[in-house]
Amino acid sequence: MITGIITFLTIFAVIGSILYGQRLIKTEKSDAVFGNPERAKGGIHWVIVGSSFLLFTWLYYSWDIAKAFYPKSANELCQVAKVNESLLSLKYLFPIEERSHKSTALIKRENINISEKINIIQNLSGLSNEDKAKFVNLLNKTRQTIPLLTNEKYIEYETKNTITNLTNRINKLTEEFPKESYPPALSEAEENKRIEALNNQLGWGATGMEVPPLPESKVGMKFNAAAKELNLISDEFFSMRNHNPQYLRLLKEIRDEIKEYKDALNEDQTLEMTYIKEIRKLGQRIEYESVFPPNALDGMELAIRNFDKVQKDQQGSIRIKDMLLFPGGTIVASGPTCAEDGPGRWLPKPSDTFRIFGDLLKPSVGFKMIPMIWYEMMGVNRIVGFFLPDWIADVMPGKYPVHTSDGTVEPNFKSKVLDVVTGEFEAFKIPVPTGHIWDSFLRVFLGLTLGIIFGVPLGIFMGLNRFAKGFFDPLVELYRPVPPLAWAPLVITVFGIDNVGKVFLLFMVSFSIMIISARAGASGTQLSKIHAAHSLGASRWQILKEVIFPNSLPEILTGVRVAVGMCWGTLVAAEFLAGTSGIGFVENVARKYMQYEVIWITIFVMGMLGLIFDVTIRKIIDKTIPWRGKG
Amino acid sequence: MKKIISFILASIVALSFSISVANSAAKEVRVAFFLEWATPNQEDKVKKAFDKALGVPVKWTNFATGGEMTEAMLSGDIDISFSQGLTPFVNAVNAKAPIKLVDIAVIYGMGGTTCVAAKGINKGNASSKLDGQKVAVPLGTMADYVFKETMRVVGADISKMKVVDMNPEDGSAAFVNGDVAMACLFGGKSIKAAKEKGASLLTVKEAQDAGIAGIDITSVTNKFLKENPGMVKTFVEVTHDANARYNAGKSDMNIIAKDAAMDLAGTKKQMGGFEFINAATMKSKYMNKGGILMTYLEVMGNMFATSENPALSDYSKVVDTSYLP
Repeated sequence: MITGIITFLTIFAVIGSILYGQRLIKTEKSDAVFGNPERAKGGIHWVIVGSSFLLFTWLYYSWDIAKAFYPKSANELCQVAKVNESLLSLKYLFPIEERSHKSTALIKRENINISEKINIIQNLSGLSNEDKAKFVNLLNKTRQTIPLLTNEKYIEYETKNTITNLTNRINKLTEEFPKESYPPALSEAEENKRIEALNNQLGWGATGMEVPPLPESKVGMKFNAAAKELNLISDEFFSMRNHNPQYLRLLKEIRDEIKEYKDALNEDQTLEMTYIKEIRKLGQRIEYESVFPPNALDGMELAIRNFDKVQKDQQGSIRIKDMLLFPGGTIVASGPTCAEDGPGRWLPKPSDTFRIFGDLLKPSVGFKMIPMIWYEMMGVNRIVGFFLPDWIADVMPGKYPVHTSDGTVEPNFKSKVLDVVTGEFEAFKIPVPTGHIWDSFLRVFLGLTLGIIFGVPLGIFMGLNRFAKGFFDPLVELYRPVPPLAWAPLVITVFGIDNVGKVFLLFMVSFSIMIISARAGASGTQLSKIHAAHSLGASRWQILKEVIFPNSLPEILTGVRVAVGMCWGTLVAAEFLAGTSGIGFVENVARKYMQYEVIWITIFVMGMLGLIFDVTIRKIIDKTIPWRGKG
Repeated sequence: MKKIISFILASIVALSFSISVANSAAKEVRVAFFLEWATPNQEDKVKKAFDKALGVPVKWTNFATGGEMTEAMLSGDIDISFSQGLTPFVNAVNAKAPIKLVDIAVIYGMGGTTCVAAKGINKGNASSKLDGQKVAVPLGTMADYVFKETMRVVGADISKMKVVDMNPEDGSAAFVNGDVAMACLFGGKSIKAAKEKGASLLTVKEAQDAGIAGIDITSVTNKFLKENPGMVKTFVEVTHDANARYNAGKSDMNIIAKDAAMDLAGTKKQMGGFEFINAATMKSKYMNKGGILMTYLEVMGNMFATSENPALSDYSKVVDTSYLP
């Protein structure tokens, strides 16, 4: 219902905005020339078109539109898929969807295989001439079994009969299939059972039910019944082999000969053993396949083609729905169950995705017992303990208390300080955020902040000082081009699998970017400005603070934007490697359990977080350096 | 404007077509397998016996986990997954992936997949010592199953531990570093490295008594099964021949070790913990109604079920014994 409304809304939004945009072009008089950034200002309507189009594409390719407007279509397509599946093996025998008969392809292949084998055996040095003659003879005999299978005159009456019988059954099905009376009515008990099963069947896309398999409509029942009959026919056909007495006699002769030869072999004649086994396999391969005389199955082929045509006609509107509303794939059947195949499988429907996202956001559910984003109460003592270094207690005068003779420990000033700096005291609690999203966010934030704190001063220093440039340049330039992920295994081994390793990895990423941008900013300061400041009597520190730093700010903030993007990319991969929590961890685990909805949720969350980061930084840029591009 | 709209429409049409490219007839068979997981049929693989028996070239691709095998099967790049763990298979069929189980590849005790705990942690004190500790587990694999079962046996509470999702190689490295108190692993090298700093929580015997065993299976895509049943039959048969040869002690271990990317001693040790059963045993004890495999499928199916992908009501639908020799 909601999906349907949204679908219409997106269509209206796209059309409306396009029309509005066109009118705007006609009415708006702008004197900005080409190349003037003024021309790119505004254009909210194009944002609407862009996002609506994206949403519509998602709705369409995830088959959510099909689900919203025709909730029964998947069930009907499932029945059609059952028929297609039951026909799959039979169709594969004939050049219906392939280029040649399966028997033709097989005979062609095996003839080549036999000739090749003969060739190999004759040129083999390890075999005696006697063995060679024996093997070639056996192979030739194997080759002779093929005509016994493909010759019309050897085919047994019984086999022929079965083929005719099965063909008739297909023809009868073709005849009955379009009729109103097909499938025949069920007995009352069976009908009740069917209705009861139907009532218990969940709808398409309900939790845990991908595609409801039991037929729900009249057409669906038709296809379901036909699929059952076709499966029987198919099974019967493939249990039959064209093994006529002549063929069996020759096969037995070959078998006996091989067995006799094998029995005579002793342990160390491995080469002979290998070859004789391969020859036996060759014969066996032909034996397993359904090889028939070229025209023996013509009737059957025709019957299948006819049925295929009739069933396609009978699909009617289902077929149009399949073509229009199920882009890029369809529903496939596997035995009695059906599944989505194509984008429907790996592109979850927006409605499902948001439903599951809503579930995941519930703090009591979360993912792997950790909420996505929530808060927990944390004592202030722990925060104090985290920030204050422990050595403060060590440098205090005095000694730590020693236990007394009556078995108690008397705390003194030094031990009390230790309690404070390690957070071992009672304090009120404050809520702090927690969960996967927060963990990922915090890692990126810490890595980025550390990178800025260390990278920017060093970068400016390198831009201004010969020693710093020469000393740090090789170091920075050597590690900068290495893709951050190349460090990952090493960092995880050295710093462990906890946050320290991941934050350090992100620090390395942002550090080099910040150095480069700060350095470029510092060395790019216009000399005239520095001279002006100098002649006005500015000190070194004032020049640095009032001239060089503001001048390099645009470069630095652009560097921050680049670093944010790089940090996200690296973070997800780092969380793949050793996952405890975080968005990357969620995605990696969801992949293992094939939870495609969750995978898309994580991608969506990452996109949104990246966007929030970027928008924030853009706002900061606008606020802090309004002179950008105007200097 | 018109150009933009027509371009967008054309892209949609092009996308629809490009996604639905059909697979052509089997000109080759594409098989997925594991390294560091020695099986007798690797001798046949090296000697091209599979290619000869099937009559078409066989392309072998190695994977790191069974889940990746499923992904490749779904995208149509792999026809047969040899020695896929039962856990990833169960996850795949719970998610309604169109694949079927046709054969049991390997049955192995805790020698092949095991949880190695740090020194000082043993079966008796694990329930208290592992509380609040970090453990490395490759989630969604057989090692995950072994982890859950082992914790059940020693009486430890999983919800009190911090489970870190790591592949066996990384997990073993983290364990050696002391970052995790326990690592559940598979693969010869990883276990060997981890055992230098700790010991298996359960011995092979103890695990066996507790009913923990690993089963690796052969799975085939539904499409390939329907189109080339003969090839699947032959593939299974060659594998069973190789198993019979190994059970008779006639396998060339050097070739197997080389192909499995392990040393000879390691290979022999690993395969010593493996069991390759014949078709008759499979049919009578494992894949029959209420058989061992069927029970495992059901237990695991419920163990790894999620709200989106719940356990199947009947796992016999995804097992087909008709391809066994």
